[in-house]
Amino acid sequence: MIERKIDRVIFYAFLTFFIVLIGFPFFWQLSNSFKPEREIFDIKWLPEVPTWANYAAAFSRQPLFSFLMNSLIIAGFATLLALLFGSMTAYAIARTNIRGKKPLLLLILSISLLPPIVIISPIYNIMRALSLLNSHGGLIIVNMLFCLTLSVWFLTPYFNSVPTELEDSASIDGASPFQCYTTIIMPIVAPGVFTVGILAFIQAWNEYLFALVMNPIRVKTVTVGLKLYEADNYIPWGPLMAASVVIIVPLIAVVMFLQRQIIGGIMSGGLKE
Amino acid sequence: MTRKQMGYLFITPTLLIFALLAVYPVLKTIGLSFFEYRLQFGEAKSFIGFSNYYKLFSTPRFYASLRFTILFTILTVTTEVGLGLLFAQFMNMNYKGRSFLRLVVLIPWAIPTIVSGFIWRFMVNDQYGILNHIFESVGIIDSFIPWLSQPATATAVLVTADIWKTSPYISLLVLAGLQNIQRSQLEAASIDGANAVQRYFSIIFPALIPILATATLFRLIQSFKVYTIIVALTNGGPANSTESLTLYTLRTYFDAGNYGYGSALATVTFSSNGSHCTYVSAGNSKQD
Repeated sequence: MIERKIDRVIFYAFLTFFIVLIGFPFFWQLSNSFKPEREIFDIKWLPEVPTWANYAAAFSRQPLFSFLMNSLIIAGFATLLALLFGSMTAYAIARTNIRGKKPLLLLILSISLLPPIVIISPIYNIMRALSLLNSHGGLIIVNMLFCLTLSVWFLTPYFNSVPTELEDSASIDGASPFQCYTTIIMPIVAPGVFTVGILAFIQAWNEYLFALVMNPIRVKTVTVGLKLYEADNYIPWGPLMAASVVIIVPLIAVVMFLQRQIIGGIMSGGLKE
Repeated sequence: MTRKQMGYLFITPTLLIFALLAVYPVLKTIGLSFFEYRLQFGEAKSFIGFSNYYKLFSTPRFYASLRFTILFTILTVTTEVGLGLLFAQFMNMNYKGRSFLRLVVLIPWAIPTIVSGFIWRFMVNDQYGILNHIFESVGIIDSFIPWLSQPATATAVLVTADIWKTSPYISLLVLAGLQNIQRSQLEAASIDGANAVQRYFSIIFPALIPILATATLFRLIQSFKVYTIIVALTNGGPANSTESLTLYTLRTYFDAGNYGYGSALATVTFSSNGSHCTYVSAGNSKQD
Protein backbone atom coordinates (compact mmCIF):
# COMPACT_ATOMS: atom_id res chain seq x y z
CA MET A 1 0.00 0.00 0.00
CA ILE A 2 1.23 3.47 -0.78
CA GLU A 3 1.38 5.80 2.20
CA ARG A 4 2.24 9.33 1.11
CA LYS A 5 -0.53 11.25 -0.58
CA ILE A 6 1.66 12.73 -3.29
CA ASP A 7 3.01 9.28 -4.13
CA ARG A 8 -0.54 8.05 -4.47
CA VAL A 9 -1.43 10.86 -6.88
CA ILE A 10 1.60 10.12 -9.05
CA PHE A 11 0.82 6.43 -8.91
CA TYR A 12 -2.77 6.86 -10.02
CA ALA A 13 -1.70 9.28 -12.75
CA PHE A 14 0.64 6.62 -14.14
CA LEU A 15 -1.97 3.94 -13.75
CA THR A 16 -4.57 5.98 -15.65
CA PHE A 17 -2.03 6.71 -18.37
CA PHE A 18 -1.32 2.99 -18.81
CA ILE A 19 -4.96 2.02 -18.82
CA VAL A 20 -5.75 4.67 -21.43
CA LEU A 21 -2.77 3.60 -23.53
CA ILE A 22 -3.76 -0.05 -23.47
CA GLY A 23 -7.49 0.48 -23.69
CA PHE A 24 -7.60 3.25 -26.29
CA PRO A 25 -7.46 1.18 -29.51
CA PHE A 26 -10.29 -0.93 -28.17
CA PHE A 27 -12.30 2.16 -27.24
CA TRP A 28 -11.69 3.66 -30.68
CA GLN A 29 -12.91 0.51 -32.39
CA LEU A 30 -16.07 0.47 -30.29
CA SER A 31 -16.75 4.19 -30.72
CA ASN A 32 -16.37 4.12 -34.51
CA SER A 33 -18.55 1.08 -34.92
CA PHE A 34 -21.49 3.30 -33.88
CA LYS A 35 -20.64 6.33 -36.03
CA PRO A 36 -22.23 7.27 -39.32
CA GLU A 37 -19.61 7.60 -42.06
CA ARG A 38 -19.52 11.42 -41.93
CA GLU A 39 -18.51 11.37 -38.25
CA ILE A 40 -15.78 8.82 -38.96
CA PHE A 41 -14.29 11.24 -41.50
CA ASP A 42 -14.65 14.17 -39.09
CA ILE A 43 -12.74 12.30 -36.34
CA LYS A 44 -15.23 12.74 -33.50
CA TRP A 45 -14.29 11.19 -30.13
CA LEU A 46 -17.75 9.78 -29.55
CA PRO A 47 -20.62 9.21 -31.96
CA GLU A 48 -23.00 12.17 -31.86
CA VAL A 49 -25.77 10.31 -33.60
CA PRO A 50 -25.12 6.69 -32.60
CA THR A 51 -26.31 4.23 -35.20
CA TRP A 52 -26.59 0.47 -35.60
CA ALA A 53 -26.26 0.84 -39.37
CA ASN A 54 -22.63 -0.37 -39.36
CA TYR A 55 -23.68 -3.57 -37.61
CA ALA A 56 -26.44 -4.17 -40.15
CA ALA A 57 -23.93 -3.52 -42.95
CA ALA A 58 -21.38 -5.85 -41.32
CA PHE A 59 -23.85 -8.72 -41.63
CA SER A 60 -25.14 -7.81 -45.10
CA ARG A 61 -21.86 -6.97 -46.88
CA GLN A 62 -20.34 -10.33 -45.95
CA PRO A 63 -21.90 -13.51 -44.54
CA LEU A 64 -20.64 -12.65 -41.05
CA PHE A 65 -23.09 -14.99 -39.39
CA SER A 66 -21.72 -18.00 -41.25
CA PHE A 67 -18.14 -16.86 -40.49
CA LEU A 68 -19.10 -16.92 -36.80
CA MET A 69 -20.69 -20.36 -37.05
CA ASN A 70 -17.65 -21.74 -38.89
CA SER A 71 -15.27 -20.40 -36.27
CA LEU A 72 -17.45 -21.71 -33.49
CA ILE A 73 -17.57 -25.21 -34.98
CA ILE A 74 -13.86 -25.31 -35.82
CA ALA A 75 -12.55 -23.81 -32.57
CA GLY A 76 -15.08 -25.77 -30.51
CA PHE A 77 -14.30 -29.21 -31.91
CA ALA A 78 -10.55 -28.54 -32.06
CA THR A 79 -10.68 -27.61 -28.36
CA LEU A 80 -12.73 -30.65 -27.35
CA LEU A 81 -10.47 -33.08 -29.18
CA ALA A 82 -7.33 -31.40 -27.86
CA LEU A 83 -8.67 -31.60 -24.29
CA LEU A 84 -9.54 -35.28 -24.69
CA PHE A 85 -6.14 -36.33 -26.06
CA GLY A 86 -4.29 -33.67 -24.06
CA SER A 87 -5.63 -34.76 -20.67
CA MET A 88 -4.83 -38.39 -21.46
CA THR A 89 -1.27 -37.46 -22.37
CA ALA A 90 -0.86 -35.14 -19.41
CA TYR A 91 -2.09 -37.92 -17.12
CA ALA A 92 0.38 -40.37 -18.65
CA ILE A 93 3.24 -37.92 -18.14
CA ALA A 94 2.28 -36.87 -14.63
CA ARG A 95 0.94 -40.10 -13.20
CA THR A 96 2.46 -43.15 -14.85
CA ASN A 97 6.04 -44.37 -15.05
CA ILE A 98 6.18 -44.65 -18.84
CA ARG A 99 9.58 -44.23 -20.43
CA GLY A 100 10.57 -41.32 -22.64
CA LYS A 101 8.74 -38.55 -20.78
CA LYS A 102 11.57 -36.09 -21.31
CA PRO A 103 11.81 -36.57 -25.10
CA LEU A 104 8.02 -36.38 -25.25
CA LEU A 105 7.91 -33.07 -23.40
CA LEU A 106 10.71 -31.75 -25.58
CA LEU A 107 8.77 -32.81 -28.69
CA ILE A 108 5.67 -31.03 -27.42
CA LEU A 109 7.64 -27.87 -26.72
CA SER A 110 9.30 -27.95 -30.14
CA ILE A 111 6.00 -28.43 -31.94
CA SER A 112 4.34 -25.60 -30.04
CA LEU A 113 7.18 -23.32 -31.14
CA LEU A 114 7.30 -24.65 -34.70
CA PRO A 115 6.90 -21.97 -37.37
CA PRO A 116 3.65 -22.88 -39.19
CA ILE A 117 5.34 -22.10 -42.48
CA VAL A 118 7.53 -25.20 -42.09
CA ILE A 119 4.58 -27.58 -42.08
CA ILE A 120 1.97 -25.72 -44.09
CA SER A 121 2.70 -27.04 -47.56
CA PRO A 122 2.84 -30.77 -46.66
CA ILE A 123 -0.27 -30.35 -44.50
CA TYR A 124 -2.00 -28.66 -47.41
CA ASN A 125 -1.18 -31.69 -49.57
CA ILE A 126 -2.30 -34.15 -46.89
CA MET A 127 -5.62 -32.35 -46.55
CA ARG A 128 -6.04 -32.21 -50.32
CA ALA A 129 -5.43 -35.97 -50.52
CA LEU A 130 -8.04 -36.51 -47.81
CA SER A 131 -10.47 -34.09 -49.52
CA LEU A 132 -10.47 -31.94 -46.39
CA LEU A 133 -9.68 -28.60 -48.02
CA ASN A 134 -12.53 -26.10 -47.82
CA SER A 135 -14.19 -28.05 -45.02
CA HIS A 136 -14.57 -27.77 -41.27
CA GLY A 137 -12.77 -31.08 -40.76
CA GLY A 138 -9.39 -30.02 -42.12
CA LEU A 139 -9.16 -26.92 -39.99
CA ILE A 140 -10.42 -28.78 -36.92
CA ILE A 141 -7.54 -31.23 -37.32
CA VAL A 142 -4.89 -28.55 -37.83
CA ASN A 143 -6.10 -26.40 -34.94
CA MET A 144 -6.24 -29.51 -32.78
CA LEU A 145 -2.49 -29.97 -33.29
CA PHE A 146 -1.63 -26.57 -31.80
CA CYS A 147 -4.34 -26.77 -29.12
CA LEU A 148 -3.01 -30.19 -28.18
CA THR A 149 0.53 -28.99 -27.46
CA LEU A 150 -0.93 -26.16 -25.39
CA SER A 151 -3.23 -28.57 -23.50
CA VAL A 152 -0.51 -31.05 -22.57
CA TRP A 153 1.83 -28.27 -21.54
CA PHE A 154 -0.72 -26.54 -19.31
CA LEU A 155 -2.49 -29.65 -17.98
CA THR A 156 0.53 -31.64 -16.80
CA PRO A 157 1.06 -29.38 -13.73
CA TYR A 158 -2.63 -29.77 -12.81
CA PHE A 159 -2.34 -33.57 -12.88
CA ASN A 160 0.89 -33.36 -10.90
CA SER A 161 -0.84 -31.42 -8.15
CA VAL A 162 -3.37 -34.15 -7.33
CA PRO A 163 -2.20 -36.09 -4.23
CA THR A 164 -1.09 -39.64 -5.15
CA GLU A 165 -2.76 -41.08 -2.04
CA LEU A 166 -6.20 -40.63 -3.59
CA GLU A 167 -5.39 -42.89 -6.48
CA ASP A 168 -3.45 -45.38 -4.35
CA SER A 169 -6.29 -45.93 -1.90
CA ALA A 170 -8.78 -46.33 -4.74
CA SER A 171 -6.66 -48.96 -6.43
CA ILE A 172 -6.34 -50.84 -3.12
CA ASP A 173 -10.14 -50.85 -3.06
CA GLY A 174 -9.99 -52.63 -6.42
CA ALA A 175 -10.48 -49.80 -8.89
CA SER A 176 -8.73 -50.27 -12.26
CA PRO A 177 -6.32 -47.57 -13.44
CA PHE A 178 -8.87 -46.46 -16.01
CA GLN A 179 -11.57 -46.15 -13.32
CA CYS A 180 -9.17 -44.11 -11.21
CA TYR A 181 -8.59 -41.81 -14.17
CA THR A 182 -12.27 -41.25 -14.97
CA THR A 183 -13.82 -41.23 -11.49
CA ILE A 184 -11.09 -39.81 -9.25
CA ILE A 185 -8.53 -37.78 -11.17
CA MET A 186 -10.69 -36.16 -13.85
CA PRO A 187 -13.27 -34.64 -11.46
CA ILE A 188 -10.44 -33.08 -9.45
CA VAL A 189 -8.67 -31.56 -12.45
CA ALA A 190 -11.91 -30.55 -14.21
CA PRO A 191 -11.56 -26.84 -13.33
CA GLY A 192 -8.03 -26.87 -14.75
CA VAL A 193 -9.22 -28.62 -17.90
CA PHE A 194 -11.90 -25.96 -18.26
CA THR A 195 -9.37 -23.12 -17.98
CA VAL A 196 -7.04 -24.74 -20.50
CA GLY A 197 -10.05 -25.23 -22.76
CA ILE A 198 -10.65 -21.48 -22.72
CA LEU A 199 -7.04 -20.77 -23.65
CA ALA A 200 -7.18 -23.35 -26.46
CA PHE A 201 -10.48 -22.00 -27.76
CA ILE A 202 -9.16 -18.43 -27.91
CA GLN A 203 -6.07 -19.63 -29.76
CA ALA A 204 -8.13 -21.58 -32.33
CA TRP A 205 -10.68 -18.76 -32.73
CA ASN A 206 -7.86 -16.33 -33.51
CA GLU A 207 -5.92 -18.58 -35.91
CA TYR A 208 -5.42 -16.96 -39.30
CA LEU A 209 -2.69 -18.50 -41.44
CA PHE A 210 -4.05 -22.04 -41.86
CA ALA A 211 -7.63 -20.77 -42.08
CA LEU A 212 -6.55 -18.60 -45.01
CA VAL A 213 -4.51 -21.20 -46.87
CA MET A 214 -6.69 -24.26 -46.38
CA ASN A 215 -10.17 -22.80 -46.87
CA PRO A 216 -9.91 -20.19 -49.62
CA ILE A 217 -13.32 -20.91 -51.16
CA ARG A 218 -15.77 -22.24 -48.60
CA VAL A 219 -16.00 -22.39 -44.78
CA LYS A 220 -14.27 -19.10 -44.05
CA THR A 221 -13.56 -18.29 -40.41
CA VAL A 222 -14.03 -14.90 -38.75
CA THR A 223 -10.36 -13.94 -39.05
CA VAL A 224 -10.29 -14.70 -42.78
CA GLY A 225 -13.73 -13.17 -43.31
CA LEU A 226 -12.69 -9.87 -41.75
CA LYS A 227 -10.10 -9.34 -44.48
CA LEU A 228 -12.85 -9.65 -47.13
CA TYR A 229 -14.46 -6.35 -46.15
CA GLU A 230 -11.49 -4.66 -47.80
CA ALA A 231 -12.16 -4.50 -51.53
CA ASP A 232 -10.56 -2.56 -54.41
CA ASN A 233 -8.49 -0.33 -52.15
CA TYR A 234 -11.61 0.78 -50.35
CA ILE A 235 -12.19 -0.09 -46.72
CA PRO A 236 -15.65 0.51 -45.24
CA TRP A 237 -14.29 1.36 -41.78
CA GLY A 238 -17.63 1.60 -40.00
CA PRO A 239 -18.85 -1.89 -40.97
CA LEU A 240 -15.33 -3.29 -40.55
CA MET A 241 -15.08 -1.96 -36.99
CA ALA A 242 -18.60 -3.26 -36.27
CA ALA A 243 -17.69 -6.70 -37.63
CA SER A 244 -14.52 -6.80 -35.56
CA VAL A 245 -16.50 -5.86 -32.43
CA VAL A 246 -18.88 -8.76 -33.16
CA ILE A 247 -15.92 -11.11 -33.58
CA ILE A 248 -14.33 -10.18 -30.27
CA VAL A 249 -17.51 -9.95 -28.17
CA PRO A 250 -17.41 -13.67 -27.26
CA LEU A 251 -13.74 -13.32 -26.31
CA ILE A 252 -14.27 -10.20 -24.21
CA ALA A 253 -17.23 -11.88 -22.47
CA VAL A 254 -15.12 -14.92 -21.65
CA VAL A 255 -12.28 -12.73 -20.42
CA MET A 256 -14.58 -10.69 -18.19
CA PHE A 257 -16.32 -13.62 -16.55
CA LEU A 258 -13.31 -15.89 -16.25
CA GLN A 259 -10.59 -13.30 -15.70
CA ARG A 260 -9.29 -14.96 -12.54
CA GLN A 261 -9.08 -18.43 -14.07
CA ILE A 262 -7.44 -17.20 -17.27
CA ILE A 263 -4.80 -15.20 -15.45
CA GLY A 264 -4.21 -18.13 -13.12
CA GLY A 265 -3.92 -20.45 -16.11
CA ILE A 266 -1.44 -18.26 -17.94
CA MET A 267 0.62 -17.75 -14.82
CA SER A 268 0.69 -21.36 -13.66
CA GLY A 269 1.40 -23.14 -16.91
CA GLY A 270 2.82 -20.40 -19.10
CA LEU A 271 6.34 -21.20 -18.12
CA LYS A 272 7.97 -24.12 -16.51
CA GLU A 273 9.46 -23.07 -13.23
CA MET B 1 -4.13 -53.51 -17.57
CA THR B 2 -1.42 -51.93 -15.46
CA ARG B 3 -1.12 -48.23 -15.05
CA LYS B 4 2.05 -48.19 -17.11
CA GLN B 5 0.33 -49.94 -20.01
CA MET B 6 -2.51 -47.46 -19.78
CA GLY B 7 0.06 -44.66 -19.90
CA TYR B 8 1.42 -45.92 -23.20
CA LEU B 9 -2.11 -46.32 -24.53
CA PHE B 10 -2.97 -42.79 -23.44
CA ILE B 11 -0.10 -41.13 -25.29
CA THR B 12 -0.71 -43.07 -28.52
CA PRO B 13 -3.29 -40.72 -30.10
CA THR B 14 -1.11 -37.70 -29.34
CA LEU B 15 1.97 -39.38 -30.80
CA LEU B 16 0.07 -40.33 -33.97
CA ILE B 17 -1.17 -36.75 -34.38
CA PHE B 18 2.34 -35.37 -33.86
CA ALA B 19 3.84 -37.86 -36.30
CA LEU B 20 1.35 -37.15 -39.06
CA LEU B 21 0.89 -33.38 -38.64
CA ALA B 22 4.28 -32.20 -37.38
CA VAL B 23 7.17 -34.64 -37.76
CA TYR B 24 6.29 -35.89 -41.24
CA PRO B 25 5.57 -32.38 -42.64
CA VAL B 26 8.85 -31.02 -41.28
CA LEU B 27 10.85 -33.86 -42.86
CA LYS B 28 8.89 -33.53 -46.10
CA THR B 29 9.62 -29.79 -46.28
CA ILE B 30 13.33 -30.34 -45.66
CA GLY B 31 13.34 -33.06 -48.32
CA LEU B 32 11.53 -30.94 -50.91
CA SER B 33 14.03 -28.13 -50.46
CA PHE B 34 16.50 -30.22 -52.50
CA PHE B 35 14.13 -30.52 -55.45
CA GLU B 36 13.02 -28.36 -58.33
CA TYR B 37 9.27 -28.54 -57.86
CA ARG B 38 6.90 -26.00 -59.35
CA LEU B 39 3.16 -26.07 -59.62
CA GLN B 40 3.35 -24.98 -63.27
CA PHE B 41 5.18 -28.22 -64.14
CA GLY B 42 2.62 -30.48 -62.45
CA GLU B 43 3.87 -33.19 -60.11
CA ALA B 44 7.28 -33.43 -61.78
CA LYS B 45 10.15 -33.13 -59.29
CA SER B 46 13.83 -33.24 -60.07
CA PHE B 47 16.66 -33.48 -57.55
CA ILE B 48 18.90 -30.44 -57.71
CA GLY B 49 20.94 -30.73 -54.51
CA PHE B 50 21.67 -27.42 -52.83
CA SER B 51 20.66 -25.26 -55.82
CA ASN B 52 17.64 -23.77 -54.03
CA TYR B 53 19.92 -22.70 -51.20
CA TYR B 54 22.47 -21.15 -53.59
CA LYS B 55 19.63 -19.24 -55.20
CA LEU B 56 18.27 -18.21 -51.82
CA PHE B 57 21.55 -16.84 -50.52
CA SER B 58 22.03 -14.80 -53.68
CA THR B 59 18.52 -13.29 -53.69
CA PRO B 60 18.29 -9.72 -52.34
CA ARG B 61 14.62 -10.21 -51.48
CA PHE B 62 15.58 -13.02 -49.08
CA TYR B 63 18.07 -10.79 -47.29
CA ALA B 64 15.56 -7.94 -47.18
CA SER B 65 12.92 -10.14 -45.58
CA LEU B 66 15.46 -11.64 -43.17
CA ARG B 67 16.68 -8.17 -42.19
CA PHE B 68 13.13 -6.96 -41.61
CA THR B 69 12.25 -10.06 -39.56
CA ILE B 70 15.33 -9.68 -37.35
CA LEU B 71 14.75 -5.96 -36.87
CA PHE B 72 11.10 -6.53 -36.02
CA THR B 73 11.98 -9.32 -33.59
CA ILE B 74 14.61 -7.34 -31.73
CA LEU B 75 12.51 -4.18 -31.45
CA THR B 76 9.38 -5.94 -30.28
CA VAL B 77 10.92 -8.41 -27.85
CA THR B 78 13.15 -5.94 -26.03
CA THR B 79 10.36 -3.39 -25.63
CA GLU B 80 7.82 -6.02 -24.65
CA VAL B 81 10.01 -7.49 -21.95
CA GLY B 82 10.78 -4.00 -20.59
CA LEU B 83 7.14 -2.97 -20.52
CA GLY B 84 6.17 -6.38 -19.16
CA LEU B 85 8.46 -5.82 -16.17
CA LEU B 86 6.91 -2.40 -15.57
CA PHE B 87 3.27 -3.51 -15.91
CA ALA B 88 3.86 -6.52 -13.69
CA GLN B 89 5.17 -4.23 -10.95
CA PHE B 90 1.95 -2.22 -11.22
CA MET B 91 -0.26 -5.25 -11.20
CA ASN B 92 1.47 -6.68 -8.15
CA MET B 93 0.72 -3.66 -5.98
CA ASN B 94 -2.26 -3.40 -3.71
CA TYR B 95 -4.74 -0.71 -4.65
CA LYS B 96 -8.28 0.00 -5.73
CA GLY B 97 -8.90 -0.80 -9.37
CA ARG B 98 -6.32 -3.55 -9.57
CA SER B 99 -8.72 -6.05 -11.07
CA PHE B 100 -9.80 -3.46 -13.63
CA LEU B 101 -6.18 -3.10 -14.76
CA ARG B 102 -5.90 -6.87 -15.06
CA LEU B 103 -9.04 -6.94 -17.20
CA VAL B 104 -7.80 -4.17 -19.50
CA VAL B 105 -4.49 -5.95 -19.85
CA LEU B 106 -6.19 -9.15 -21.04
CA ILE B 107 -8.10 -7.50 -23.88
CA PRO B 108 -5.20 -7.00 -26.33
CA TRP B 109 -4.04 -10.53 -25.58
CA ALA B 110 -7.46 -12.07 -26.24
CA ILE B 111 -8.43 -10.39 -29.49
CA PRO B 112 -7.29 -11.82 -32.83
CA THR B 113 -4.12 -10.35 -34.32
CA ILE B 114 -5.96 -9.57 -37.54
CA VAL B 115 -8.44 -7.42 -35.57
CA SER B 116 -5.75 -5.50 -33.74
CA GLY B 117 -4.02 -5.00 -37.10
CA PHE B 118 -7.12 -3.41 -38.62
CA ILE B 119 -7.68 -1.20 -35.57
CA TRP B 120 -4.15 0.14 -35.84
CA ARG B 121 -4.50 0.58 -39.58
CA PHE B 122 -7.60 2.67 -38.95
CA MET B 123 -5.88 4.72 -36.25
CA VAL B 124 -2.94 5.63 -38.51
CA ASN B 125 -5.08 6.34 -41.59
CA ASP B 126 -3.71 9.30 -43.58
CA GLN B 127 -7.06 11.11 -43.90
CA TYR B 128 -9.06 10.42 -40.75
CA GLY B 129 -6.65 8.55 -38.46
CA ILE B 130 -6.91 9.54 -34.82
CA LEU B 131 -3.15 9.27 -34.29
CA ASN B 132 -2.50 11.84 -37.00
CA HIS B 133 -5.18 14.01 -35.42
CA ILE B 134 -3.65 13.75 -31.93
CA PHE B 135 -0.07 14.24 -33.13
CA GLU B 136 -1.11 17.25 -35.20
CA SER B 137 -3.02 18.91 -32.38
CA VAL B 138 -0.10 18.59 -29.93
CA GLY B 139 2.30 19.78 -32.61
CA ILE B 140 4.43 16.68 -33.20
CA ILE B 141 3.60 16.75 -36.90
CA ASP B 142 2.53 19.63 -39.17
CA SER B 143 0.08 17.72 -41.31
CA PHE B 144 -1.35 14.23 -41.57
CA ILE B 145 1.30 11.77 -42.70
CA PRO B 146 0.74 8.48 -44.56
CA TRP B 147 2.35 6.24 -41.93
CA LEU B 148 2.01 3.03 -43.90
CA SER B 149 3.42 4.42 -47.16
CA GLN B 150 6.98 4.87 -45.91
CA PRO B 151 9.17 1.92 -44.88
CA ALA B 152 10.41 3.42 -41.59
CA THR B 153 7.05 4.61 -40.28
CA ALA B 154 5.29 1.47 -41.53
CA THR B 155 7.77 -0.62 -39.55
CA ALA B 156 7.23 1.58 -36.51
CA VAL B 157 3.47 1.05 -36.69
CA LEU B 158 3.89 -2.72 -37.04
CA VAL B 159 6.24 -2.84 -34.07
CA THR B 160 3.91 -0.67 -31.96
CA ALA B 161 0.87 -2.81 -32.80
CA ASP B 162 2.73 -5.96 -31.81
CA ILE B 163 4.00 -4.41 -28.59
CA TRP B 164 0.47 -3.31 -27.73
CA LYS B 165 -0.81 -6.82 -28.24
CA THR B 166 1.90 -8.82 -26.48
CA SER B 167 3.35 -6.77 -23.59
CA PRO B 168 0.31 -7.56 -21.42
CA TYR B 169 0.92 -11.28 -21.80
CA ILE B 170 4.57 -10.92 -20.81
CA SER B 171 3.53 -8.88 -17.80
CA LEU B 172 1.34 -11.76 -16.60
CA LEU B 173 4.29 -14.12 -16.84
CA VAL B 174 6.47 -11.69 -14.91
CA LEU B 175 3.67 -11.26 -12.38
CA ALA B 176 3.75 -15.01 -11.76
CA GLY B 177 7.46 -14.65 -11.00
CA LEU B 178 6.91 -11.67 -8.71
CA GLN B 179 4.32 -13.55 -6.68
CA ASN B 180 6.78 -16.35 -6.07
CA ILE B 181 9.20 -14.04 -4.30
CA GLN B 182 8.96 -14.48 -0.56
CA ARG B 183 7.48 -11.49 1.22
CA SER B 184 9.66 -12.27 4.23
CA GLN B 185 12.79 -11.83 2.12
CA LEU B 186 11.70 -8.36 1.03
CA GLU B 187 10.71 -7.37 4.55
CA ALA B 188 14.06 -8.51 5.91
CA ALA B 189 15.83 -6.41 3.30
CA SER B 190 13.77 -3.37 4.10
CA ILE B 191 14.47 -3.78 7.84
CA ASP B 192 18.15 -3.93 6.93
CA GLY B 193 17.67 -0.48 5.41
CA ALA B 194 17.48 -1.28 1.70
CA ASN B 195 15.39 1.24 -0.22
CA ALA B 196 12.91 0.36 -2.96
CA VAL B 197 15.45 0.62 -5.78
CA GLN B 198 18.05 -1.45 -3.92
CA ARG B 199 15.42 -4.04 -3.07
CA TYR B 200 14.41 -4.19 -6.73
CA PHE B 201 17.89 -4.76 -8.07
CA SER B 202 19.24 -6.98 -5.30
CA ILE B 203 16.25 -9.25 -4.72
CA ILE B 204 13.38 -8.85 -7.16
CA PHE B 205 15.22 -8.61 -10.45
CA PRO B 206 17.63 -11.53 -9.85
CA ALA B 207 14.67 -13.68 -8.83
CA LEU B 208 12.94 -12.84 -12.11
CA ILE B 209 15.88 -13.69 -14.37
CA PRO B 210 14.95 -17.34 -15.06
CA ILE B 211 11.39 -16.42 -15.99
CA LEU B 212 12.58 -13.48 -18.09
CA ALA B 213 15.09 -15.65 -19.93
CA THR B 214 12.47 -18.21 -20.85
CA ALA B 215 9.86 -15.56 -21.73
CA THR B 216 12.39 -13.75 -23.92
CA LEU B 217 13.33 -16.88 -25.82
CA PHE B 218 9.70 -17.87 -26.33
CA ARG B 219 8.93 -14.40 -27.60
CA LEU B 220 11.99 -14.37 -29.89
CA ILE B 221 10.72 -17.53 -31.52
CA GLN B 222 7.14 -16.29 -31.82
CA SER B 223 8.13 -12.88 -33.08
CA PHE B 224 10.34 -14.47 -35.74
CA LYS B 225 7.21 -16.09 -37.20
CA VAL B 226 5.49 -12.70 -37.65
CA TYR B 227 2.89 -12.78 -40.38
CA THR B 228 -0.71 -11.95 -39.48
CA ILE B 229 -0.17 -8.42 -38.20
CA ILE B 230 1.65 -7.59 -41.44
CA VAL B 231 -1.18 -8.92 -43.58
CA ALA B 232 -3.65 -6.68 -41.76
CA LEU B 233 -1.52 -3.54 -41.75
CA THR B 234 0.83 -3.31 -44.74
CA ASN B 235 0.64 -6.60 -46.63
CA GLY B 236 4.42 -6.40 -46.88
CA GLY B 237 4.48 -2.95 -48.45
CA PRO B 238 5.54 -0.36 -49.33
CA ALA B 239 7.66 -2.09 -52.01
CA ASN B 240 8.15 -5.27 -49.93
CA SER B 241 9.95 -3.26 -47.21
CA THR B 242 7.89 -4.91 -44.45
CA GLU B 243 7.86 -8.39 -45.92
CA SER B 244 8.75 -10.95 -43.25
CA LEU B 245 10.38 -14.30 -43.89
CA THR B 246 7.07 -16.08 -43.38
CA LEU B 247 5.23 -13.77 -45.78
CA TYR B 248 7.96 -14.18 -48.42
CA THR B 249 7.85 -17.96 -48.06
CA LEU B 250 4.07 -18.04 -48.24
CA ARG B 251 4.09 -15.97 -51.41
CA THR B 252 6.70 -18.26 -52.93
CA TYR B 253 4.50 -21.26 -52.15
CA PHE B 254 1.03 -20.10 -52.99
CA ASP B 255 1.40 -17.10 -55.31
CA ALA B 256 4.42 -18.25 -57.33
CA GLY B 257 3.71 -21.98 -56.90
CA ASN B 258 7.41 -22.65 -56.36
CA TYR B 259 7.38 -25.42 -53.76
CA GLY B 260 11.05 -26.39 -53.97
CA TYR B 261 12.40 -22.90 -53.36
CA GLY B 262 9.67 -22.21 -50.82
CA SER B 263 10.69 -25.33 -48.89
CA ALA B 264 14.28 -24.09 -48.79
CA LEU B 265 13.06 -20.78 -47.34
CA ALA B 266 10.94 -22.62 -44.77
CA THR B 267 13.90 -24.82 -43.85
CA VAL B 268 16.03 -21.75 -43.19
CA THR B 269 13.29 -20.35 -40.92
CA PHE B 270 13.06 -23.71 -39.21
CA SER B 271 16.77 -24.04 -38.56
CA SER B 272 17.07 -20.55 -37.13
CA ASN B 273 14.19 -21.41 -34.83
CA GLY B 274 15.76 -24.78 -34.10
CA SER B 275 18.82 -23.09 -32.66
CA HIS B 276 16.57 -21.01 -30.39
CA CYS B 277 14.79 -24.19 -29.30
CA THR B 278 18.06 -25.80 -28.31
CA TYR B 279 18.75 -22.81 -26.06
CA VAL B 280 15.31 -23.08 -24.50
CA SER B 281 15.58 -26.78 -23.77
CA ALA B 282 19.14 -26.38 -22.49
CA GLY B 283 17.92 -23.60 -20.19
CA ASN B 284 15.01 -25.73 -19.04
CA SER B 285 17.03 -28.80 -18.19
CA LYS B 286 19.49 -26.67 -16.26
CA GLN B 287 16.63 -25.59 -14.01
CA ASP B 288 15.46 -29.14 -13.31
